[in-house]
Amino acid sequence: MENEIILLDGAMGTMLQAAGLPMGELPEVWNLTKPDVVADIQRRYVEAGSRVLYTNTFGANRLKAARCGCSVAELVAGGVRCARKAAGEEPVRVALDIGPIGQLLEPLGTLRFEEAYELFREQVVAGAEAGADLIAIETMSDLYEVKAAVLAAKENCDLPVWVTMTFEQSGRTFVGVTVPAMALTLTGLGVDAMGFNCSLGPRELLPLVQELRQWTDRPLILKPNAGLPDPATGEYKISGAAFAREMLAALPLGVQILGGCCGTRPAFIRDLSLVLKGRASAKARPAVRHGVCSGRRTAELDGVRVIGERINPTGKKRFQQALRENDIDYILARAIEQQDAGADILDVNVGLPGIDEPAMMTRVVKALQGVTDLPLQIDSSDPAAIEAGLRAVNGKAIVNSVNGRREVLDAVLPLCKKYGAAVVGLCMDENGIPADWQGRAAIAQRILDAALAYGIPREDVYIDCLTLTVSVQQEQAGETLRALRWVKEELGLHTVLGVSNISFGLPARETVTASFLTQALYAGLDLPILNPNLQAVMDAVAAFRVLSGEDRGSAAYIERFSARPESRPVLLPESGLSIEEAILRGLGGETARLTVRALMERDELSVINDLLIPALDKVGEKYEKQEIFLPQLISAANAACEGFELIKARIARRGGESVSRGKVVLATVHGDIHDIGKNIVRVVLENYGYTVIDLGRDVPAEAVVEAVLREKARLVGLSALMTTTVLSMADTIKALRRSGSDCKIMVGGAVLTEEYAMQIGADYYAKDAKQSTDIAKKVLG
Amino acid sequence: MEARLTGIDRAEMLRYLRYGGGAIPEETEEALRQGEERLLRAARPRAVWRAFGYRPDEALEGTDFSLEGEDIHAFLADCDQVILLAATLGAEPDLLQKQLRLRDMSAAVILDAAGSAAIENVCDNLCADLAAAFAPRHLTERFSPGYGDMPLSQQSGFFRLLDISRRLGVSLTDSDLMVPQKTVTAVVGVSDRPQPRRNPGCESCAMAESCVFRREGKTCGK
Repeated sequence: MENEIILLDGAMGTMLQAAGLPMGELPEVWNLTKPDVVADIQRRYVEAGSRVLYTNTFGANRLKAARCGCSVAELVAGGVRCARKAAGEEPVRVALDIGPIGQLLEPLGTLRFEEAYELFREQVVAGAEAGADLIAIETMSDLYEVKAAVLAAKENCDLPVWVTMTFEQSGRTFVGVTVPAMALTLTGLGVDAMGFNCSLGPRELLPLVQELRQWTDRPLILKPNAGLPDPATGEYKISGAAFAREMLAALPLGVQILGGCCGTRPAFIRDLSLVLKGRASAKARPAVRHGVCSGRRTAELDGVRVIGERINPTGKKRFQQALRENDIDYILARAIEQQDAGADILDVNVGLPGIDEPAMMTRVVKALQGVTDLPLQIDSSDPAAIEAGLRAVNGKAIVNSVNGRREVLDAVLPLCKKYGAAVVGLCMDENGIPADWQGRAAIAQRILDAALAYGIPREDVYIDCLTLTVSVQQEQAGETLRALRWVKEELGLHTVLGVSNISFGLPARETVTASFLTQALYAGLDLPILNPNLQAVMDAVAAFRVLSGEDRGSAAYIERFSARPESRPVLLPESGLSIEEAILRGLGGETARLTVRALMERDELSVINDLLIPALDKVGEKYEKQEIFLPQLISAANAACEGFELIKARIARRGGESVSRGKVVLATVHGDIHDIGKNIVRVVLENYGYTVIDLGRDVPAEAVVEAVLREKARLVGLSALMTTTVLSMADTIKALRRSGSDCKIMVGGAVLTEEYAMQIGADYYAKDAKQSTDIAKKVLG
Repeated sequence: MEARLTGIDRAEMLRYLRYGGGAIPEETEEALRQGEERLLRAARPRAVWRAFGYRPDEALEGTDFSLEGEDIHAFLADCDQVILLAATLGAEPDLLQKQLRLRDMSAAVILDAAGSAAIENVCDNLCADLAAAFAPRHLTERFSPGYGDMPLSQQSGFFRLLDISRRLGVSLTDSDLMVPQKTVTAVVGVSDRPQPRRNPGCESCAMAESCVFRREGKTCGK
């Protein structure tokens, strides 16, 4: 479409209300009951100059349609029919309008990505069958929801896909999506045009358009409201002529597709049409800024971006155990730890013999997105696991990795193209790693050519020249660096390199790693893969950012070191506290130290039974008497945990049996999403030495039953906060009883009482976390 | 009128944390301060409201939505107009709480309490603004779905009439719970006569469903 201007229509909702649509009624129903009214409104837009009509199908998804007793296919077909009729003989295209589902997706809400996809798929299929000319996804706040919609469109029809999202003046959407994240993700997914609708007036949206232009080469869409509504009346005040004038300013920025949203009427489109007559939009141009992103955060490739390598089971017993036991929280804690240490991107590798890697990848990626904003790097050699990860990712990910082998390139590059991911290319092939830099350079060139042939843009190809261990092959460090410099300077590609390997087998590894890292950065490394928890290594990154000028005014460097005490070894003075006092005050480190000392004089079980447990009992007692309150109870339990952990590790090292006091399955019941109470109970139970299988929130009864039988748990804890969800608790209890399990059931939640708990068939009522430990003690000992 | 978060009532926050009057150690005091700061940084308060004509046995004027239950009509006995309102702190506090849970559960619990106190503050400010806007008429206090015998299923009516999903970025689950969690919907009545303060009493408290005191058969005595 070059730079020819395309005129859209204006508001539909505003017009329908003016035509008498009762407030609260689903507008799409009128496609069937009053098609003439809908078509008449659209006809007026055509007469005003619109060359694309959005169908009246914004909310025509199964969840909303259920309310009016119509099917999605009927509403959508009706909508397309109305628009076609309005278009008549004019050269007008009909766009299937798809709005948000109206339910928040995971991790914030409970709607699963796959369910969202299904809902959109239904709309797309109906629209394509009804003869729509393109798909217009609009008014979106959540990039993850947009991704579900775009995939549904691309996988189920061949129509062009346009996307517009709704931003606040802050430059973010309601759920925190940023303009760069939108641009990178949607460009990667291959949408045909993107931009903004609704939200604000043209004037307020211009700065966002400017930003969008820097991050994408796609044609831009602008469909704003008629200015800002009057705060008192909610009415839009701006005139059509003023609206059109403001829109004009968007042309030089490359906006090519223009229309109006709330408050705009046919007269606005006519004014816009007059103003735009004979004009063209600025030519599309390549994006000038690049990077990868999550839905909310972007790692721009204009400096050093650290990829954290710790989410990886290779050589890590504890991590492997976590994967086998589905202990996702352990993995999440590794993510938080690296984020706090300064990682910009997280590598995610969950490959382990005997586990279903694609399923685990989906699960871990989704869980990570609930606790961190960092962009992700999907790390696997299994194309199925890579695709699972790429599908579940919100944002633009990196794939780690391909190499020079043809079959690997042919298996993985199409996935990178489809999902819009950047890709790491390792400089090796079926013959192994070339010994000289020229050999690696040649493979880099080959990988680049293959990627370009698959339609992956150059700036999304990251080359890894491969680090070898310097204590084994000393001359290789230089070859790696030379190859890296060549890739950077001659191919002009971004580079990635795992640096930790270099120092394997040497003493004081951090010194060698940090030094190699500095040299590699100087040679042109953009994306070091490393362990961000190693202070010396991250110090080297901080110093490099000062020397390269990336850290303006050395501000980040100064902040990093201002908080760091002089590195003189200081002997901590004896606190003189007892273990009980340390726990009561929530002092974890002190509790651990005192536990070590106690272990010199007593055996492990005695420390647990005679010191830690009695201290916790004392804490519980004080809590009951209201001498301490909730945050103190939790801190105390956490402090005790440091002691337990220490003893557990000691016994594990000896190969001894576990010291768990027994298993408890916990769940917030189906339909309920308020899980903070359950989470408190979990922390406290764990810190009292019980093993907790936490099934999360909104858990169906069958899942609870399945877990109880699988784990042979003797105690189950169920929580429900609302009166409505207590019913679902009663169902879960019934299902447990029917399953034949003889587990005891304790229940808790704000609206429950002892009496009500017994009435729905529970064995115990726990009014708070403290009581849940009393019950666990009674049932499990 | 804009949604305003002007402060977090420490006493209210402590009530949610089941504070019983003991000494607060320095570490805990610091954690409370930090929780308030975190919440204030994360919150993006937003609100919408709209007034409707009201008669006890009819749908709200110009709509197909009726208020259900006996309690709400007793509450509105003097009123011929109602304001439906919705206010939220946005998605950030929910996300932050998910992160904090893994770092430090105690901090997560404190953030939750700070959020509950904060959304009350936003609602109080909004109602103060509304009272000024509707003067010389008088407003009742707030009454939310889930109080008394007003069913939670009424939430969907609020969502339709106020266009809450689109305007606030809040969604309603199948079981009528709102996400993000720090969100309140309520009815406020408008009358020619001054309206009694109904507190102490739980029916006009947004925390009624999740109140830690009610669970023990007590009230916070506010």
